[in-house]
Amino acid sequence: MIPKNGKGWSPYVAGALSGLLIILSVWVTGKYFSASNSFIRTAGMIEKAVGPERTAQMSYFKKYSPAPDWEWMFVVGILVGSFISAITSGSFQWKGVPDMWAARFGPSPVRRGVVAFIGGLVVIFGSRLAGG
Amino acid sequence: MKILLYGLVTGMIFGFLLQKGRVLRFDKQIGALRLIDATVFKFMGSSVLVAMVGVYLLRDLGLAQLDLLPTVLSKNIAGGLLFGVGWALLGYCPGTSAGALGEGRWDALFGALGMVLGAVIMGELYSAMKEAAPWWGDFGTITLPEVLGVNHWFVIAVCVAAGLWVFRWFEKKGL
Repeated sequence: MIPKNGKGWSPYVAGALSGLLIILSVWVTGKYFSASNSFIRTAGMIEKAVGPERTAQMSYFKKYSPAPDWEWMFVVGILVGSFISAITSGSFQWKGVPDMWAARFGPSPVRRGVVAFIGGLVVIFGSRLAGG
Repeated sequence: MKILLYGLVTGMIFGFLLQKGRVLRFDKQIGALRLIDATVFKFMGSSVLVAMVGVYLLRDLGLAQLDLLPTVLSKNIAGGLLFGVGWALLGYCPGTSAGALGEGRWDALFGALGMVLGAVIMGELYSAMKEAAPWWGDFGTITLPEVLGVNHWFVIAVCVAAGLWVFRWFEKKGL
């Protein structure tokens, strides 16, 4: 069921296990999975470091206080968990230009970086607007 | 303090599973959006179907509550469209960008930086957007079974059946 080759696990198996993880999380802590708020808090933490008085006045950061919470730690955990899985299975790869991107837009990491940055900016806007 | 530890451990297991399922990669995510690789849909679908059954079971047993976000059509549609454009440009969503960075795909870092700048701008516009925008289609916190006026297990059964049918179709088509 779980092949031990470089292809990883069946997405059905990994997905179903993450479904069980959601159930356990809801049961134990009442927390559902979401990630985008943690970028708001990160922005708040940076703004707080630069200008604490102004940040304290902003209604946005009154709602999303600029400090780590469950969700912020959850996102840090995703990075750590992915790293552990990648390192222990030999699938960690330091790479800044994905194959599919390179095949269409060339090998320039600057071009890729600029588009990724713009994409990140738009994705967080959409995510916060839709409420996700 | 304890809740932060729960967040970290839950995230670590989830990140581990996302990496094992190979869904953190640009090629997989953009492959899904181009409808040439269904790996991401398989992972998401399985996760949603399993969680749907378990969470409603917990709720019926009085062991958990649903945490519903309000349905505001104008916001959901505009936000969804923007999210899609951003996702297609970046190739990762907010959660998977952290996971992609974890397996060494450092283009995700530029995406994360873009998200932080987006959040800074959002913070500046927040009050204005809240007051000025004519958000229509606010239905509050609704669920599909409530709107349809049917038992939730009926909706869940239909979702599971439809999901399994789609999975079978993926396998037939070799997606």
